[in-house]
Amino acid sequence: MRLFGTMGAETSFREEDFFGREEELSALTRSALDGGRGIGSSFMLYGPPNIGKTSLLLKLARVLRNSTGVEVLPRPFPLYFSFSQILTHPLALSQHFLQEFLWQLLRFLGDEQPSAFDPAAMCDRLASLGVTGCREVLSAHERCSAEGDGLSALVNALSFPFSAAGERIYPVFLFDDFQYTAKLQAVPEGAMLSILRPYIKAGHFPMFLSGSSPGRVTAALKREGLFGTFQMVEVGGLSTADSVRLWGHLCERRRVEIPASLLPRASGRLGGIPTYQRMLVEEIFFRGAKVPDAVTLENLYAFSVTEGRLNRYWREFFENTFPDRVRRGRAIRFLKRILCDRFPLDTMEGATSLMGASEEEGEAILAALEFKGLLKTDLEQLTFPGDPVLADFLYWAFERGVLGKGTSQVAAAIVQTRLSSAAPEPGKNDDHIRRVATVKELMRKWDLREVPLLLLDFGMFREKFGGKGLLEVVIGMEREAARVRLPKVSSVSTGYRASRGGPRFDFDLVAYGFLDNDFSEENLVIWAVDAAVEKNLGARSVEHFENRCRLLALEKGLPNDRLRKWMIINETSDPAAVDLASRYGIHLSHPTQLRLFLNLFGLEELEREPEPARSSAPEAPRDTKTLEYELVLPIKADSEVVAVRVAEEVAAFSSVDADTLDRIKMAIIEACINAFEHSASESGKVRLRYLISPDKIELFVQDDGKGFRKENTPEESKKNRGWGLKLIRELVDDVEVITGPDGTVVHMMMHLGGDPANPEAVRQGEGGSASPREQ
Amino acid sequence: MSANTTIQIREEGGTLVACVGGYLNSQLGEEVEKVVRGKLDDGVRRILINFQGTRLVNSIGISFVIGIVEKVMERDGRMAFCSLSRINCELFRVTGLEKYVRSFETEKEALDYLAGEQ
Repeated sequence: MRLFGTMGAETSFREEDFFGREEELSALTRSALDGGRGIGSSFMLYGPPNIGKTSLLLKLARVLRNSTGVEVLPRPFPLYFSFSQILTHPLALSQHFLQEFLWQLLRFLGDEQPSAFDPAAMCDRLASLGVTGCREVLSAHERCSAEGDGLSALVNALSFPFSAAGERIYPVFLFDDFQYTAKLQAVPEGAMLSILRPYIKAGHFPMFLSGSSPGRVTAALKREGLFGTFQMVEVGGLSTADSVRLWGHLCERRRVEIPASLLPRASGRLGGIPTYQRMLVEEIFFRGAKVPDAVTLENLYAFSVTEGRLNRYWREFFENTFPDRVRRGRAIRFLKRILCDRFPLDTMEGATSLMGASEEEGEAILAALEFKGLLKTDLEQLTFPGDPVLADFLYWAFERGVLGKGTSQVAAAIVQTRLSSAAPEPGKNDDHIRRVATVKELMRKWDLREVPLLLLDFGMFREKFGGKGLLEVVIGMEREAARVRLPKVSSVSTGYRASRGGPRFDFDLVAYGFLDNDFSEENLVIWAVDAAVEKNLGARSVEHFENRCRLLALEKGLPNDRLRKWMIINETSDPAAVDLASRYGIHLSHPTQLRLFLNLFGLEELEREPEPARSSAPEAPRDTKTLEYELVLPIKADSEVVAVRVAEEVAAFSSVDADTLDRIKMAIIEACINAFEHSASESGKVRLRYLISPDKIELFVQDDGKGFRKENTPEESKKNRGWGLKLIRELVDDVEVITGPDGTVVHMMMHLGGDPANPEAVRQGEGGSASPREQ
Repeated sequence: MSANTTIQIREEGGTLVACVGGYLNSQLGEEVEKVVRGKLDDGVRRILINFQGTRLVNSIGISFVIGIVEKVMERDGRMAFCSLSRINCELFRVTGLEKYVRSFETEKEALDYLAGEQ
C-alpha cells in the first residue's frame, strides 16, 4: 500500500534505490520513536541540492510506518510535507497543508483515498476512527479563510496535526524544502518557525526540517531562540561502499555492465551522490554503451556532463535559479572560479568583488545560490559544496560560454584532466611537494608554451598558502626570479582611471589589488598587461607601452614597485626590444603566463581579450595520439550544417589549413545528405565519428539504412543529381564505402601536413561528366 | 529555409545579378532557379551569379545551378559566375560546370564580359 500519493517527491521516490545512510537513519528513527513517549527532538537536515535529503526523509517515513505494530499505541504518523510547491500565498498553502494532512492521516489509518476533498466529511471520518478534535479546528480554519486572513489560516492549518495527536497516533513532522517558507507572500521570513515555536518548545513532537539553505533557516532559528533546540545533520554523499552497492543495483536494473574494479573510482568521480549515479547509468543504458575500461567510463561521464543528462540537469538548474542570462553568466563564472580554480575566498565582500558586480547584484546572486544550497553562510563566512560534477559542469559552461570552445574539446579536456590526475593515491604528501616544485620550476621557464594542467590546479597552492589570504607565486627568469604576491581579492579590467573623472589608461588587461590584504592606497598594486600583436616584438611597442605605464604611475603617484608591467609576446622579440624592456623593468612573457594571471585574478575579462587566451589554450593535442569525437544527427533538412560546425571545431585541434578544412566540410555535407536521402534509416539518425591524429583526419558517416547509392538512378540523372560519392572522392584523399546488413559507413580520410600521394595532381587529371550538354 | 540563406537580385545594364548567400542547398537552389526562370521569361538574357556570400554548397544546390545553365542555354542567353571561393571553383570543375560558364574574380569583370561580346 502506498503511504502517500499526492505530491511529486513521494511518487518519484523509489525505496529500492535507497542505499546507505544507515547511521543517520537509525539515529533519526530512534528520535522519532521517542515521540511515542512524549519526547520530541528537533532536527535540521541540510546539504547541497539533490544530495538525497528528500530521499532520507521519505525513507524515514517508510521506516516509521513499519516500525511498530498496530497494537503498540500511540503509533508514529509520519507527515511529509514539502514547501517547494509554488504556493506562495499563505491561504493557498494552508489549504494545501490541510488537504495533505487529512489525506495522509486517513490513508495512514487504513482508508482509501477519498475521491473528493471534503474536509468536514474527512474530519468526521477521522473522529469515527478515534482521532477527535479535528472538527473544531476546521471550523476555525474556515472562518479565517472566509475572512481572507492568510496568516491566521496558516496558523490554524499547522495546528491540525497537533490537535490530532492522542492515544492512537502522534505526528512526526517531516518538513521538506523548508527554505521556501521564506518566500511566502506578505508573511515575514521566519514566521513559519514562529507558528511552530510553541510546539517545538513543548518538545512533545519529533520534528525534522530539511532544506538546502541552512544559513537562512539557522538565522531564523536563532531569531526565534530555537537554534539550541535543533540538532544539525549534514547530508553528504554516500560512502564508497554504499555507493558501490547502489551502482550494483542500478546496473543490474538496466543491465549495464561496469567492471567492479571501476566502481569505487566511479563513485568518487560522482561524489557518491545517488542522483548522479542514476543519471549516468541511464545515460549509459540509453546510449547502449559498453563500459570495458576506465577510459570509456571517463568518456561517457564527460559526454554526460558536457551534453548529456548531467549537463541538462545543471543547465536547467541554473536556468531556473537565474532566469536572467547576464546574471546567470556571472554566477557561473563566479562559481567556476571558486570550485574549479579554487580561488581562496570566504567573505561576502570578496565574493562581490570577484563577481565584478555591484553590491546589490552580488548579494542577489549569493542569496540565490544560498537558497539553492550551493553556498553556506555562517557569520559572513562562506563555504561552497565540493561537488565534483558541478565543478565539471561549470568548467564546461565557462569554456563553452566564455572561451567559445566546442563541447567536444571541453569533454576531451575533462577526460584528460581526470586521467592525468587519477594517479596519486595514499602517501600523497611527497607527491604534493613534488608537484609544487615542478610547477615552480615550469613557471620559472619563460619559454614554456604549453601550460600543463597541473599549473591551473590551485588547490596545491591553496594548501601551501591557505590561511594567509595570499597566493604567492614565483614568476621570473632562472636567475632573476621576481616574487609576485598576488592578493586575495582583486579585479580585472581593460583600463584604469587614476581618479574619478580623470583620464583612463587603456591596456589589454589591468589587474589591481592590495598587498597584505590591506585595502589602503599605500598597498595598491596595479598590473598593467599588454599583448603584443606582432609576431616579432619590436622596440616601438615596448616604448609605447612604457609611455602609458609612466603616465599611469605619474597620475596615480604609484611607487616603482607598485606598478607591475607585463607584455605578452606572441612568438619572438627583437634583441633591442628585450633590452629596452629589461631597462624599463617590463616583464616579457608568453600567453601562458597571462592565462595563469587571469586564472588567479578571475576570468571576467577574457571575452574582451580573446587573442592571447585562445592562443594559449593548453588543450591542443597536436603531438599526442588520436582524439575521437562522435556526433549523432537527426535526419532533418540542413542538419548536416551542424556536422560541418563540429568539423570546424574539431579541426581547430589539428594543424588543418583552410583549404583542407573546406574539402572536409564539403565531403561531410555530401556524405550526410546521401545518408539522409538514401538510407531510409529506421532510427532517423546518422552517426558521425571524427578521428584526429597528427598526420590524418578520418571521418565516418554511418547510417542504419539500406545502403549508399553508388550509381545514379535514371531519375537522378535527369535532375542532374547523384554525385555525392563522386564529389567525396574528389574532395578527400581516400574513401571507402562499407555496406552491411546494419547500414552503411562512409569512411573518408584526409592526410595532413605532407602530400604523400600528391592528391592534387590526381584531382587535376579528372574532369566532370555531368555537364548540361552531355545530357 | 534557414535564416542565413539568401538571394538578392538586381539588374545592371540589362544583366540580372543574383547574389547567393549562405548555404546553397536544395531550397536556395530552387529559389535561385525560380528567380532566374522568371527573369528569362521577362526577356532578360544575361545572367550573372555572384557567389561571394556563399559559405557552403552541396551537390543538390549545384544541380539547380546546372538546371539554370541549361535553361539559359536553351533561350540563347549568356551566363557568368563571379567571386567563387576556391573550394566552390573546384566543385564546379568536378561537376563540369566550368566548361560551360566562365568564372571571374570580381563582379565588374563578369559584367564587362557579359556586356562586351554581344
